[in-house]
Amino acid sequence: MSSTRTVERRDDASGRRASPRSVTTRRRVRAQVETVVIYVLLVVVALVFLFPMLWAVASSFRPLNDVFRYTVPFSGRALIPIPFTVQPYVVVLQSAFTQALVNTLFVGGVTVASGIIANALAGFAFGVFRFRGQRVLFFFVVLTFLVPFEAIVIPLYIMVAAFGWQNTFQALIVPAIANGLVIFLFRQFFAGLPRELLEAARVDGLSWFGVWARIAMPLSTPVIVTAAMMLFLSQWQSFFWPLLVANAPQYQMVQVALTNFQTQYVTVWNQLFAAATITSIVPVVMLLALQRYYVQSVAGTGLKG
Amino acid sequence: MTRREWWIPYAFLVPALLGLVVFKLVPIGYALKQSVYGSTFGFGPSISFVGLTQYQQLLSDPTLSHALVVTVIFNAIINPLQTALALALALLVNRRVRGISVFRSLYFIPVGISLAVASVVWGILLDPESGLVDSLLRSVGLPGQPFLTSPAQALGSIILIASWIGVPYWMIFFLAGLQDISRTLYESAAIDGASRWQTFWRVTLPLLRRTTTFVLVADTAANFLLFVPVYVLTQGGPTGSTDLLMYEVYRAGFISSDMGRAAALTVVLLLATLVVVACELLVGGRAEAA
Repeated sequence: MSSTRTVERRDDASGRRASPRSVTTRRRVRAQVETVVIYVLLVVVALVFLFPMLWAVASSFRPLNDVFRYTVPFSGRALIPIPFTVQPYVVVLQSAFTQALVNTLFVGGVTVASGIIANALAGFAFGVFRFRGQRVLFFFVVLTFLVPFEAIVIPLYIMVAAFGWQNTFQALIVPAIANGLVIFLFRQFFAGLPRELLEAARVDGLSWFGVWARIAMPLSTPVIVTAAMMLFLSQWQSFFWPLLVANAPQYQMVQVALTNFQTQYVTVWNQLFAAATITSIVPVVMLLALQRYYVQSVAGTGLKG
Repeated sequence: MTRREWWIPYAFLVPALLGLVVFKLVPIGYALKQSVYGSTFGFGPSISFVGLTQYQQLLSDPTLSHALVVTVIFNAIINPLQTALALALALLVNRRVRGISVFRSLYFIPVGISLAVASVVWGILLDPESGLVDSLLRSVGLPGQPFLTSPAQALGSIILIASWIGVPYWMIFFLAGLQDISRTLYESAAIDGASRWQTFWRVTLPLLRRTTTFVLVADTAANFLLFVPVYVLTQGGPTGSTDLLMYEVYRAGFISSDMGRAAALTVVLLLATLVVVACELLVGGRAEAA
């Protein structure tokens, strides 16, 4: 701790004399310890969040007898599926569960396609045009995405039943097409487009619909991606509504089919986990791949103030 | 836009607005009407004006008051809990250490797991006999817990399952809010000699006021309406300890086929949600003005 300098330095309230080198060393050590603690915390939290799915996925690749073999008493081997088998997946994909997968893909796809078009058109109207009643209508649109689904599920069910839509695809698709949040996102984007661009297209003879389809939409790829993801996931993850209106086997959606799996095949755990993994792979991969868009849309709605 | 083209904006609006009116506005209006008229099915003329009888019946119904109590207790615990944990997690992943984006992505994964999948998987994990959680507890010498099979722990287990998805989901919002805070503010606080704790309380937290209020309110709305874990795992039990109001709505409408009761219960549920949300907004607003 000695120093040949004549200038005295004090590094803290204890009044101890310190050389420049020891001050820096102490700070560096403290920073390093802190970093280690942070990493430990990060890993522990990661384990807590991922452990359930890790075990479920591992168990989905095991023969049935092995699923609980390493759980009581617990050993690390519980997470390593050896012997490995894809038999559970084969069985699941050959069962009625695949029908649910196909149904959900179909419903999701149609919802995305029609939802993008309908909501983008409305967003364009709000963001680009000026017309009577604009403010009121937009306020109403914003209001609709504040109303939670469960608040209207009973009357919505009664209405859909009155249309004769029980156990049909329309019951699943049509109510989900118009989405206030998606309209809002498109409106924000279109309002930000430079007017000259749109005017130039009009001068060139494009109809307003042409401006929307040929100029505005191609530019709005990030919003389309976010909206597509939102609409698709809302269908893929939906449970309550399909439970009520589409419980027949040919029309089942994937989340409901999974819980039915649980009751029907109550002891075939590896198949249940295989079905759960298949059900989760799609949204998890989508969200990880499109994380950027998702976070952007959260920030973009300006809800954080 | 020429005078002749006045109809174009409205044409653009028709598909989406039609959908919103039919599938959002009409049900809302109908819900209010239905709960007052007390008919069970159909869009036609109501059977009779039952008036507020439906609500009178509900007030004296012990199942409803019990469900209301369970729902309020559930929300009193889970909403502050999830908001605080989401903020803590966001603070943790906001640090600039190497590889932090990997961890952010990892924590994001539960968001992709639906409530249905989470309920099924956690239901197996929490099983008192063969479940991993109890096995882990026993391996470190702690006694195994009954979790979903015990009236004392079932609601807490549901809180756990819902938070496993909820905390990472709300973390994103806090992360966005944190990243909006300019680094220079932290630097000037450090120059002024503020401790870590002081910086958090006096700089970070006040700047997160709007985000916190938003997360708390949105989370409250979502949790008041929670249904899936109860349906999949407990059906309101054991002994009604997880009988959340939304499950009662489902039971009334689709097990007892009493749509009038279901509609009235929905109104009660929404009123309760609105009251709590209004309180949260008041507290949030007053804190902001302070």
